[in-house]
Amino acid sequence: MKKMKLLALAAAAVFAGSLAAAPQVGQPAPAFTVKDSAGQVHSLQDFAGKNVVLEWTNHDCPFVVKHYQGNMQQLQKDLTAQDVVWLSVISSAPGKQGHVNQAKSDELTSSRGAAPTAVIFDEDGVMGKAYDARTTPHMYVIDKNGVLQYMGGIDSIPSAKVEDIQTATPYFANAAKAVLAGQAPDPAVSRPYGCSIKY
Amino acid sequence: MFRIFISMLLCCCISTAVWAHSSGWHESKHIRAELVSEYQQVMPGQKLLLALHFIPDEHWHTYWQNPGDSGLPTSISWQLPEGVSTGPIQWPTPQAFSIPPLMNYGFAGPTILLTELTIPLDYTDSSLPIKAKVDWLVCEEICIPADAELQLELTVGSAAVLFDSATALVARGKSSQPLPLAVRGSFDTAGGSFSAAVSGLPDVDFQQFFVAATELVDHAAPQQLVFSEGEWLLRQNLNTYFTRAADSFELVLVSGNGQGYSLLLEAVAESSPAAAAESTSLWLVLLMAAAGGLILNLMPCVFPVLSLKALSIAANSGQRAEQRRDALWYTLGVVLSFVSLALLLLALRAAGSAVGWGFQLQSPWLVALLAYLLFALGLSLSGVVQFGLGLMSAGSELTQSKGTKGSFFTGVLAVVVASPCTAPFMGGALGYAVTQPPLLALLVFVALGLGMALPFLLLAYLPALARALPKPGAWMDTLKQLLAFPLYLSAVWLVWVFGRQAGIDAVAVLLCGMVAIAAACWLYGSWQFSRAGWSRPLLAALLLLLSVGVLRLVPDSATPAAAAADAHWQAWSPGKLAQLRQSGKPVLVNMTADWCITCLVNERVALNTESSKAALALYDVTYLKGDWTRRDADITAYLHQYQRDGVPLYVLYWPGQTPEVLPQILTPDTLRQTLERLSNQ
Repeated sequence: MKKMKLLALAAAAVFAGSLAAAPQVGQPAPAFTVKDSAGQVHSLQDFAGKNVVLEWTNHDCPFVVKHYQGNMQQLQKDLTAQDVVWLSVISSAPGKQGHVNQAKSDELTSSRGAAPTAVIFDEDGVMGKAYDARTTPHMYVIDKNGVLQYMGGIDSIPSAKVEDIQTATPYFANAAKAVLAGQAPDPAVSRPYGCSIKY
Repeated sequence: MFRIFISMLLCCCISTAVWAHSSGWHESKHIRAELVSEYQQVMPGQKLLLALHFIPDEHWHTYWQNPGDSGLPTSISWQLPEGVSTGPIQWPTPQAFSIPPLMNYGFAGPTILLTELTIPLDYTDSSLPIKAKVDWLVCEEICIPADAELQLELTVGSAAVLFDSATALVARGKSSQPLPLAVRGSFDTAGGSFSAAVSGLPDVDFQQFFVAATELVDHAAPQQLVFSEGEWLLRQNLNTYFTRAADSFELVLVSGNGQGYSLLLEAVAESSPAAAAESTSLWLVLLMAAAGGLILNLMPCVFPVLSLKALSIAANSGQRAEQRRDALWYTLGVVLSFVSLALLLLALRAAGSAVGWGFQLQSPWLVALLAYLLFALGLSLSGVVQFGLGLMSAGSELTQSKGTKGSFFTGVLAVVVASPCTAPFMGGALGYAVTQPPLLALLVFVALGLGMALPFLLLAYLPALARALPKPGAWMDTLKQLLAFPLYLSAVWLVWVFGRQAGIDAVAVLLCGMVAIAAACWLYGSWQFSRAGWSRPLLAALLLLLSVGVLRLVPDSATPAAAAADAHWQAWSPGKLAQLRQSGKPVLVNMTADWCITCLVNERVALNTESSKAALALYDVTYLKGDWTRRDADITAYLHQYQRDGVPLYVLYWPGQTPEVLPQILTPDTLRQTLERLSNQ
């Protein structure tokens, strides 16, 4: 009994320390300053006045492969055509699955016909952890005022099968549409699914 | 040659046998899978287990029903002959896989997922083909999704034959599952954390818990498991992607030696036990009200009227259209009378709550008065006393009146006239209605009215029914007396509710009050017969006053007796807080409720600890506790003052400083540290 109490106290102390600020829909999106594949530096405030999409990715993850059969590229094209900034973020640590250099990154973009505004290298995982990004893919929509409007899965069916894309509810696409129309997405938070991010 | 033939034959036998009740190994990247049947021959009406057996490579794992921060649970889609069905996957006790900053729940090493298969009694085929389409995700650090189609073909015979090679596998599968417990725990998600309380658990030192609900807890956050006062209290931060919790889900608790225990966790209902009745479905309530209305017709004061009406309808078959119109007007009259009664009641209720007289069943006062009312009405049905005799004689002539428009008032008067018999039922409906929202209360009364008018409507449209009506007689009085007993039982239920709220001493007071009520009814009832002298009604009235008066002995807001004994806190009131603040004393206010698990965990983990008690004593802090279990209006106002709609709320007042609102989730150090900081400012 006494031991339990002590244990609880210790646990609670750790617990208190771990109360880091988590990203919250409706609140300003966590700030970031990161380099893209060409070495150019981007900060969230640079995009003030524009809607921003963040996509966590790992080209070897089967769930990413599922959506790169065409779905993701289409979303990138549709949204960037509407003046949305699309950042594909790679948080894989060096030596881990999904980590790429500039040449590989450029090759992936062209071979897959991807159309992001930029591919972000987040080797140290600082940006990923600030957004509490967990999976690849993992999607975020930030509005023109820098407020986080959507975070979560790309759609409603957690699977690695391409055929499920058709029947799934496209949570992310719906959310992006809503934000472009100046509305609040519903749902604004959904369960992210996919491979874990290789921090 | 012969030996070769024999061995070939044996090979054939074995391979067909393997094909029949084991799928054989399906090799996939980093994992292999097989499906095995517990029985090699099955019979109609049987239940058996099918084992999906995974052997992943070392360090690779598959996922539990809640996979944690990433991953996917294994799923099986069964293709079975018609009528054959399967249950859900019976999950083994999961393990936690930490991949900082993430956490996954799943299974490493050989894993056996059992599923129960049910064969219908009328299954006629001689074989049972089973196809399982299995989808899984196997991960080390990287993940590989895969699927397989595993097939079995079992023979169906008149007897079941176990598949010996599967027995050990099935047994291992069962033993890897958590032990199911019949207890139910409760949880809430207030203040950004998941909190749960479970009592009645075996005497085991639990070390870890797993919630089956996805995106509920922050899987990687530390877990708190505390045993306190016979209850296990659990807490973990909420998931960033948490939106809404299910009403109930499975919880697996794991002991130090790795044994799992599973139980169901339910969301706490934010209400006192008394409010349980509110969950009764609307339709059932309305149906019961209509049935109650119908029964009113069988009462001695109504039924003779009904019989006369029935006879007249049967006799005058020529005036059918007129009779139908009469019946409709009559119905309208009855329903409107009931509705006006309800409106009167609602108006009274509104007036009552405007002066702060709450009609919630949460108030022990109201519960006590309702118990009195139902008891008295029961006594009336038992014949101890008659209520409303005067009205009956006044109105009886009017029911004889004829004419179309007159039917409407006949309906109205039927309600009034019948009141001596109907009052007990009306009382029950009134008692129910005062505790309900206005619309529901109105609907109940409409249903009551429709029920009462139903026989007349039916007789007008189906005259043949008149023959089916029983004749008036002594049975009516017996029925009336019989119906007293449900009312007594209702009174018992209310006494129980009252006891839960106010304690056993208060129940004794209430029961004394009920004895006084019984005496009053008896005195008044005997006076009704003789109408001699004023002493008896006077004494009855005094007894009635006494019965209400004794309720004053009941403390207004009951506090659990156990807590009061060694309490280091005092009951909160606006006056007390103001007085303490004026005298320049530091004060800690804790707003809590019995149904708030978060509050409970905070108190046990952070407020009732020796260190917190010592800190309170050191800084001479007065600890005031407000109980919002019954939605006290003063506390609601206080919560609003701090922009809160609910509990918990902790406010620390330090003389000369603005009040400090503590976080909704307290740690053992919160109070001490806050006090240290405030005292040094």
